Amino acid sequence: MKHVHEEESKYAASAKDFRKNVTRDLANEELRANFRGAMDYLMDKRKSAFSSADELEVLREQCKLIKQRCLAKLPHLLEQLEDKLEHNGIKVHWAETVTEANEIIAQLIAEKKAKTVVKGKSMVSEETALNDYLEARDVECLESDMGEYIVQLAKQHPSHIIMPAIHQNKQQVAQLFADNIDGFEYSTDVDTLIQQGRTILRDKFCQADVGISGVNFAVAETGTLCLVENEGNGRMCTTIPDLHIAITGIEKVVEHLADVPPLLSLLTRSATGQAISTYFNMISSPRKQGEKDGPKEVHLVLLDNGRSQAFADEELRQTLQCIRCGACMNHCPVYTRIGGHAYGTVYPGPIGKIISPHMLGLDATTNLPTASTLCGACGEVCPVKIPIPKILLRLREESVKPNREQPQVMQGQGAGRSAVEAIIWKIWAQVHKSPTLYALSMWCLTRCRFLMPKKLAGWTSVRTAPKLAATTLHQQIKAKQAKQGRG
Amino acid sequence: MTNKTTDINVISRRARGNILAKLKAEVGGADYGKLPQETAYVYPECSQTDNIAQFISELEKNHAQVIPTTKEQMAEVILEQLASLNITQLLYGEKLDEQSDYHREVIEALKSKVTLQPYDFSIDNNKNRLFNECPAALSNSRCSIAATGTIVLWPDENEPRSLSLVPPVHFVMVDAHKLHADFARLIEAEQWQDKLPTNVVLISGPSKTADIQQTLAYGAHGPKALIVLLLNS
Ligand code: SF4
Repeated sequence: MKHVHEEESKYAASAKDFRKNVTRDLANEELRANFRGAMDYLMDKRKSAFSSADELEVLREQCKLIKQRCLAKLPHLLEQLEDKLEHNGIKVHWAETVTEANEIIAQLIAEKKAKTVVKGKSMVSEETALNDYLEARDVECLESDMGEYIVQLAKQHPSHIIMPAIHQNKQQVAQLFADNIDGFEYSTDVDTLIQQGRTILRDKFCQADVGISGVNFAVAETGTLCLVENEGNGRMCTTIPDLHIAITGIEKVVEHLADVPPLLSLLTRSATGQAISTYFNMISSPRKQGEKDGPKEVHLVLLDNGRSQAFADEELRQTLQCIRCGACMNHCPVYTRIGGHAYGTVYPGPIGKIISPHMLGLDATTNLPTASTLCGACGEVCPVKIPIPKILLRLREESVKPNREQPQVMQGQGAGRSAVEAIIWKIWAQVHKSPTLYALSMWCLTRCRFLMPKKLAGWTSVRTAPKLAATTLHQQIKAKQAKQGRG
Repeated sequence: MTNKTTDINVISRRARGNILAKLKAEVGGADYGKLPQETAYVYPECSQTDNIAQFISELEKNHAQVIPTTKEQMAEVILEQLASLNITQLLYGEKLDEQSDYHREVIEALKSKVTLQPYDFSIDNNKNRLFNECPAALSNSRCSIAATGTIVLWPDENEPRSLSLVPPVHFVMVDAHKLHADFARLIEAEQWQDKLPTNVVLISGPSKTADIQQTLAYGAHGPKALIVLLLNS
């Protein structure tokens, strides 16, 4: 299978370091407290946002079916979207890889001889590491979502897809501002911090040549790009500069405008417990003749980056139903403890574990599907009912399949396969298929239990070694039945 | 790495072909008639009074100020609010005064008390002015949504989209008779799919963020205050 993604992304390396990252972040008590506090807050918010379990369930089923319908029609909807957008005056570009997407954006900016970019929140542009790409080409790229701004100032990456700076507390942000912003006097007052950010960023909005944003829903029927946000920076980026470039994954297209209200309602409530976000911004064209503001040009970049690989398998396709609400990470016991950076990927948490293997290859992400207790919380809260635990199991399977076995579903198939493990399971299977072999092996094991080592690699590093029983379950039952027969 | 000189139209055409071919290979002959029935949740019908109460309560929860008023008192209310904020200038949509008699009267009444600036300029050479010299704005609205406390703006050449975005205080006139129960029913009733303009904005409060330690702060980038003038007579 063609390895197109891995060598292009810096996240492949950091994802490979997963175990190291986990050890590092688990030892950081401040970080763990920050995540614990934030996740408790977000879980509470979501819980209080639904009036009845019935409403939630009906909405989830509806939204799942909407997304599944839109995926079933995906190629046609993408063509329709392109048609409508172009008809409305919005230029559409396609990119298979992150480098292609970056190059398209870089050239659109270069054509205008533009030098300054303000960005609204866009996880897809994180996926492509667009900032690095543009900065290497002398274009200043400023994040304007408050969380993203903080993260960029700290030279970090978002640790959560909805709240990028959730790993920092206000003392840390205050210190960051004091260290990096001229004239800022250390203060942990959140209003003061936000007003400081506002002052700097409003100036940037006013000056910027280009605004870059993500997209929450792209409506094929009308050729409309919808953006969900609270701060107004998304509106700024898409209203004030002369050139607006939106970037999104191909799975964000929905068929009808009428598909939007239920999805929007579940998105904001699942994400932050809000009935609706402060702003819902629907963009259908560049500035028209006679209008006094708005960008003169609007472009949309549609990115694949492994999505079509997920699409090709019916079970894995469900991964693309995701509306990026973040609820799965908020409710994940693993995410809450290790935090968002340990994953080393752009998308952390449960959704990250199931989408990143398509973007980076299973070889770079072998550890991710295994880093789950399969407790099921993510699947239960997911507003579009993605069976995340099932998909995790499926990815585990793909990662231990012989790497030449056909059909090849995933790039990096078999990356987690170990010859010893494979042989052990083969023997195990043989033993369990034959009653005689099974009985014999049990007889041996119970007799030789004193040979059981005290230390069992990873298992005993945090647990005591299991003790084998003196008699097998079969023997015990037999003995019991014999006794009852007598009695 | 893609060759730097590769024309983006070439990249895009090739990517388009490949992506669509891959997707079509999977769902090419799919029978869309067999898709399962999608059932929407049926929200109970509410009276107009309940809807208005819901609208106000949601907006207030989101830190907007809702002031029920009448056409006659509108100008007075705006002046009071401006005075309490120590603001003496107001940016407003050009031709607002031509929309109806009462709009004309509101503008007339305001004219003598504050400096009124019609938004009669292109943003192109006026960004500094818009960002630094316009402390408050007054806009109209198209309709509103009860369930979520949402105001629908339909910006046009008279009421540009930045009118409701850049000035730190946003006054918006809302007619309670144009209140819809929820977003889905609004789209259905007005058949939006046939007529979306350049930009539609749904606004449900002043700009806010909880990005620093989940602490809510208002006035992140857009207006710090949203003052809703609710006409209900
Ligand atoms: S997988 Fe589900 S819960 Fe997680 S971000 Fe996506 S939509 Fe939300």
